[in-house]
Amino acid sequence: MSGSDTVELMHKLLTGLRLAVTEMMTSMAMSEVVFAGQESADSFTLTNEVVGLVRLDGQLHGMVGVSCSQALLREIVSRIVGLSPDELTMEDLLDGAAELANMVCGGMKTKAQIGSVNLSPPVAIVGQEYTAQWKTNHPTTVFTFQMDEGVLMVHASL
Amino acid sequence: MKLLTIDDSRTIRRVISGIGAMVGFEVLEAENGDMGIKVLEKHGEEVALILLDWNMPGMNGLEVLKLLKADPRWAHIPVMMVTTEGEKDYIIKAIQAGAIHYQTKPFTQEEMAARIMEALGMGGL
Repeated sequence: MSGSDTVELMHKLLTGLRLAVTEMMTSMAMSEVVFAGQESADSFTLTNEVVGLVRLDGQLHGMVGVSCSQALLREIVSRIVGLSPDELTMEDLLDGAAELANMVCGGMKTKAQIGSVNLSPPVAIVGQEYTAQWKTNHPTTVFTFQMDEGVLMVHASL
Repeated sequence: MKLLTIDDSRTIRRVISGIGAMVGFEVLEAENGDMGIKVLEKHGEEVALILLDWNMPGMNGLEVLKLLKADPRWAHIPVMMVTTEGEKDYIIKAIQAGAIHYQTKPFTQEEMAARIMEALGMGGL
């Protein structure tokens, strides 16, 4: 794949990713989400209380992470499954974080119309204080989305 | 009549169970293909529709689908793929292997409810 093809593919995926987050939050969580900006970071570093993470390989290698506070995740998962936030267990939150990342990445692939990128099974991290950092070959794009209950961040190193 | 959801995500299984209840069906749950087969061995005669994820640990959804369609006990039960994989190649493979519907995630409750009714030959909501 030429350099310009790679750039085009990355652009398609990032555009697809941004759209996929909005679609997922609207359809599954029935929540309003507003795109609040994007920035570039040198490393893929996650510090929020909750992270759902998917690796990409195939035509393009990379990683996508969805992160937010535990309170926001409780609210999102509660809306998705139709239970009150207090009823959700830690296992529910872990599965919810992983599934959010999975749906966002699936939506990204579909919107970008790219079949040659494979998604790993999603993993989730839920904790009070940690820093998870990965060495990546490319800068990380961080999208910020504002919701009534807090901020959702989506990190993509492609 | 019951529905069977085979999905490794408990979040998605719960969502589908909620939607199933909304349209009047009890939903049986299995977190992978092997458990799905076990559920069918016990409740197969009551299952009217199988909702099957694609990306799962162990057998993937396509492998499970082929297994179901090769077994005369379950081959007649319609299968709807419910997956994040929305590319044409995946859809074609699933249809060729015997799936009758293909629903990508994410979905709205109304969309999934309508798909379930359609798959059961009951029309839209």
